[in-house]
Amino acid sequence: MRFVVFVKQVPDTSSVGTDENGNLMREGVPSILNPYCEFALDMACRVKGEGDIISVVTMGPPQAESALFRCLELGADEAFLLTDRAFAGADVYATAKTLSAFLKKFIPDHDLLFCGRQAMDGDTAQVPAELASMMGCGQFYYTEDLVFSDGWKAVQNYYDEERECALKKGDLISVSKGETDPRLPSVADYIRASGTEIKKLDRVDIGLGTFSVGLKGSKTRITSSRPVSISRRGILTDGGDPTEAAKHIKGMVR
Amino acid sequence: MASVVRRASSDSPYLRDESKITGDADEIFVPETEEDVVKTVEEHFSEGRPLTISGMRTGMCGGCVPFGGDVLTTERLNKIIGIGKDSNGYYVRLQPAVTVRELNEVLRKRSYSNLQNITEDAVGDLLNEGTDFFYPVDPTELNSSLGGNIAANSSGPRTLKYGPTRNWVRRIRAVLPDGGIIDVKRGDIKADGRLFRFKTDKRELEVPLPSYEYNMNVKNSTGIMARDGMDIVDLFIGSEGMFGVLTEADLYISKWHPLISNIFFFPDNGSAYSFVKDIQKSGMEPEFIEYFDSGSLDLIRAARKRDPKMNQMPDVPEDAGSAVFMDFPIDGALMRKYMEIGELSEANGGSLENSWCGHELRDRERFFGFRHSVPQTIFEYVAGLKGEDPEIHKMGTDMSVPLDNLDRMMDIYSETLERYGLDHVTFGHIGNGHLHVEIILKDMEDLEKAKNAYRELAVKAIELGGSPSAEHGIGKIKREYIELMYGNKGAEEIRRTKEAIDPKWILCPGNMVER
Ligand SMILES: Cc1cc2nc3c(=O)[nH]c(=O)nc-3n(C[C@H](O)[C@H](O)[C@H](O)COP(=O)(O)OP(=O)(O)OC[C@H]3O[C@@H](n4cnc5c(N)ncnc54)[C@H](O)[C@@H]3O)c2cc1C
Repeated sequence: MRFVVFVKQVPDTSSVGTDENGNLMREGVPSILNPYCEFALDMACRVKGEGDIISVVTMGPPQAESALFRCLELGADEAFLLTDRAFAGADVYATAKTLSAFLKKFIPDHDLLFCGRQAMDGDTAQVPAELASMMGCGQFYYTEDLVFSDGWKAVQNYYDEERECALKKGDLISVSKGETDPRLPSVADYIRASGTEIKKLDRVDIGLGTFSVGLKGSKTRITSSRPVSISRRGILTDGGDPTEAAKHIKGMVR
Repeated sequence: MASVVRRASSDSPYLRDESKITGDADEIFVPETEEDVVKTVEEHFSEGRPLTISGMRTGMCGGCVPFGGDVLTTERLNKIIGIGKDSNGYYVRLQPAVTVRELNEVLRKRSYSNLQNITEDAVGDLLNEGTDFFYPVDPTELNSSLGGNIAANSSGPRTLKYGPTRNWVRRIRAVLPDGGIIDVKRGDIKADGRLFRFKTDKRELEVPLPSYEYNMNVKNSTGIMARDGMDIVDLFIGSEGMFGVLTEADLYISKWHPLISNIFFFPDNGSAYSFVKDIQKSGMEPEFIEYFDSGSLDLIRAARKRDPKMNQMPDVPEDAGSAVFMDFPIDGALMRKYMEIGELSEANGGSLENSWCGHELRDRERFFGFRHSVPQTIFEYVAGLKGEDPEIHKMGTDMSVPLDNLDRMMDIYSETLERYGLDHVTFGHIGNGHLHVEIILKDMEDLEKAKNAYRELAVKAIELGGSPSAEHGIGKIKREYIELMYGNKGAEEIRRTKEAIDPKWILCPGNMVER
């Protein structure tokens, strides 16, 4: 079997603070493998059998190599970094376009595609669906488990309904659930990962023109953006006497 | 602004620390400035009223626990002031309640925008450095205050490579018991033999030092430091608040380098210990070596059953009977080290497969959470027992011996505790000859047995050239160790030093020695 897992590197939102103006402070915030992508990889590792190959792919800046390294540590067999200045500013469409072009050219014969449900930074959850539509394969969102009985079946959770869907060769699943405590590699895994080359490919390798990728290949045009704040009614208890103030607050909470 | 004063109710958190002993006090003073501290101390001095200094109360020997009088908490003196540079490198000037975690977070995120230049352009220079910096002393409890760390000369796993807090203090500023201020950096005032002569803004002092030989060959926090011609900064470090309230300090910081954390699992206690000895012989110098015996792993397993989220780590492998935790720099030598470790671990029943490693910041934090969860689990267990019997408190050794005598000491631990019929777990800083042996008390009877066993162990540790209190200090619960180590004479000499600085014994009375 040939499994392909699409992953993204994201800022570790759990350690992103805000400054006094409420702006995200990204400085010093480490980048990590998107947790949903890690779930997707974990699922592929779980079903991987003798002789199966797990390939991981990301489109991103050169630093995204560290997210791929983590995938190798956690059990991926090979890793591709799609990186090119022209890829910058890609929206979901241009991203899916780049990923599908890579897939058609480099791993045309694949059995299953895995994505994380969404990236923790963009939160659009659009890339898996667009990628599936460009590949002309089935797409199965909200997959929580993968079972093999008479072919692969995706177990999907739609909150009010659990479904088991049969998958065809080449179908895509987007994974929404995994371990709460991420796995840790062993030293042996680390050594194996260190000895695996991460293959870097650019626009020319994949065979796409500048107008198909990055900002130029994007359909989304952001004309303006403004911060919106959810308004909550703040009440200031200015009693002077803390005991009185506490009583007042207690009354309101009740 | 005046200090806020609060009444201490009997369940006030200011009446206890992690030793779980509980004291009593009338009022809690919460100074916001050094002037507030001076005023509070002066008032207490003139009335001869005890004042116990409280940091973040993570101490393990009751040093900040008051027995009468009032409490002064440093909690609002919590600002990082600025950055400076001298021939030894960069240092951070800070108030005492800044915690180890806060300092390291500011350094990691390089959030220096509100910091002063203590020396010309130091902030900008540090920002422009290609590498990150960090404060390397890791007392395991990252929520402890740096003032508390200095007062206790805290150390921890990283002491193997970086030494204790003492090695990182450049300057201190303290309010003495009469309200006088001393502001000294290393080199300013040295003892003349065993006598200090110095001036504060209030008076001239002559302070005699104890005549004992302070053991610097092992990790040691028993008693105040005393050496010929020593620096006065060293008198305050590790003095458990007996001589003054620290209001400011300069702490050096170190260049950070990427590290990889590793935990190797072994079938039983003997195999892990034998692996540790092999590592020490190999000369590969890990940043630290920490040991967990089978009992420690069982504690973690049990705690994770109760609370699966406890330390955010995967489950400990079922067949693991012990573990060794080490950090290595990620550099050109790492793979060669791993190859050697592979052979050494296999020779002792382990393998590179049967291990965990992590180099991303979040993973390394998980490893430290795992390490921390062992003492934490024991604290919680004891806190639970306390409900049944308030007299029960944690009983853990904190003894160090020179590495050459560690074999002998390990045998003594098990032989003695078995003789007393006491359940125990062993973990900690094996690389420094410093293990924590924690007795799992079942009832009051065990507590009595444990006290006797500990005394025996302490005598043995001293005989083997070690210290009965390697890093947790003496405070109020380990005072007998002072006499064990330095005799009656030594205790008397510490009293003399205390008396010279604090004639009315108002600051942290009862720490190390009673009046
Ligand atoms: C789970 C756990 C693990 C730990 N592991 C380690 C370890 O590995 N190594 C280690 O060394 N310690 C360890 N400790 C103990 C503790 O973290 C340290 O002793 C720490 O330095 C205490 O800091 P604190 O701010 O909590 O001080 P407190 O407990 O509040 O006070 C400690 C002493 O310092 C004095 N003091 C505090 N602030 C000042 C000040 N501004 N001026 C003068 N005196 C002051 C107090 O009077 C008291 O005597 C551990 C604690 C816990 C809970």
